[in-house]
Amino acid sequence: MRKRFAKNKLNSLLLLAPTLLLSAIFIYGVVNGILQGFGYMPFLGKTQLTAEYYLKALSRPDFLRSLGFSLKIALVSSSLSLILGVVLSVLLLHARAGKVSRLISLGLPLLSAHTIVALFMVSLFSGAGLISRVLAQFGLISEPSQFSSIVGQPGGLGIILVYLWKEAPFIAFVTLAIMENISQKYQESAALLGASPLVSFFTVTLPLMYPTLAKAFIIVFAFALGSYEIPALLGPTAPKALAELAYMEFQNPDLLNRPYAMAINGLIAGITILLTLLYFKILSKEDKAALL
Amino acid sequence: MRKSSSQFFARALIMINIIFVVVLPLALIVVWAFSASWPWPHLLPQQFSSRGLEELFSNRVFGGVLLQSILIALGTSFSATTIATMAAHSLLFYPSKLNKLIRFLLILPFLVATPIFAMGIQVFFLKIKLANTVLGVIVAHTILALPYAAYLMMDAYSALGRKFFEQSQTLGAHRLQSFYLVDLPLLLPSISSALLMSYIISFSQYFITLLIGGGTVQTISLLMFPYLVSGDRTLASSYGLVFMLATIAFMLILQVISRKASKTAALFDS
Repeated sequence: MRKRFAKNKLNSLLLLAPTLLLSAIFIYGVVNGILQGFGYMPFLGKTQLTAEYYLKALSRPDFLRSLGFSLKIALVSSSLSLILGVVLSVLLLHARAGKVSRLISLGLPLLSAHTIVALFMVSLFSGAGLISRVLAQFGLISEPSQFSSIVGQPGGLGIILVYLWKEAPFIAFVTLAIMENISQKYQESAALLGASPLVSFFTVTLPLMYPTLAKAFIIVFAFALGSYEIPALLGPTAPKALAELAYMEFQNPDLLNRPYAMAINGLIAGITILLTLLYFKILSKEDKAALL
Repeated sequence: MRKSSSQFFARALIMINIIFVVVLPLALIVVWAFSASWPWPHLLPQQFSSRGLEELFSNRVFGGVLLQSILIALGTSFSATTIATMAAHSLLFYPSKLNKLIRFLLILPFLVATPIFAMGIQVFFLKIKLANTVLGVIVAHTILALPYAAYLMMDAYSALGRKFFEQSQTLGAHRLQSFYLVDLPLLLPSISSALLMSYIISFSQYFITLLIGGGTVQTISLLMFPYLVSGDRTLASSYGLVFMLATIAFMLILQVISRKASKTAALFDS
């Protein structure tokens, strides 16, 4: 008996080894970055921890503007994506959409790269874009420059549009199976007790989905907060997104400037670590709720 | 009566979403890729040509970069899916108190933004000589793709359950046989999804490839980045088209393999 337990343990470890290795590399990367933000750079002989770089980062006026900008974009795009994603899920279920419809509605966006989305958003919403041309055909504008392009739009509208197009289907994808499951189990009982579909959705289905929705929201929010590519493509010159700011400092040829870049990263990581703790808490609550 | 009218409404919205929100923008890229002349405010190109694609392939490095991008993406996809399947198997068959921690570790890259990881790990990769190498890029991509693959495989395994595997063992097959002959064919749809998802994650990466590849390792994503928002829509869309085709090609190959293998799985249906 004991021999089999030991063999199982060994097997389990062997199977998990690559995962543990890759996770270790990931955690090392993040922790290393945060430590560098505290001035810890053994490769330069600096082993003293100091808060000066973090304080310097926090006191920069452009940092605070970037922080506000990134938070706003993350909050707006994630909230809207959550709502639209749930709506999309509901529509797909209510319409009894077949496999092909689901594949196109959810699969295509899931499989499209963010950069490709940025590409067609520009082809749609720039001065020379398709929407601008449609407006011209209706006589609403007479010159491309009259259309306010999403490229470099100061409010980050272009960035939000790209995230919406990708993340709403992502949230729909994550919630669809669970919504279907809940719908099958509880919708009928609720209807028998006299609840209309709308009421039962808001009082039964939605509350049961809170853990899933919270997890999906955190994932989408964390991504939007720390992302580089889309703000770099469609964001305004100022304020820059947090990741752009960090990278700018990171590229400084003076290595002694590195902790400064890492402090900015550390602050992004700090916010996302708080989210991570939230996620972990939801995960453990869910295990208890799974007794349902 | 009321139900069918709201269902019709839902169906209409789904259709509108599919045609105008999902398909039209992607089709727009294809149209632009083949436009020779499309002045404002025309709604359709005035002239078509393949000059965009010609310009791409006349660039001597383009073919090589495309091949390298595909190879990196394939490497990532097989690594991530294999590692994810192994982990999912272990979580199902050898449950322990560590399960919650493992699941958390697998989700971690979802919760900490990529640029932070990229900037933090660069020095380490330089030290262990993985920076500026294709292998280093594959390792980095695999770390980022693993959460997606793991999510898919954990779902798949929990739906499959342990019964088939254990039944096969009672009939005398050892673990590897049971996995290869029984679980694998049944898991193939999810494995296909994981392979495809990981492939796309890798193919789409820009920032981490930039940092780990260090300019030595080039991918299509890196090449096309400067053109995406530029004035030359034809060139930018040509890059986009090649990008999308490289993805669709892999998806079709996976479909073909899936179909062949599902015949084996069908043997298990009574």
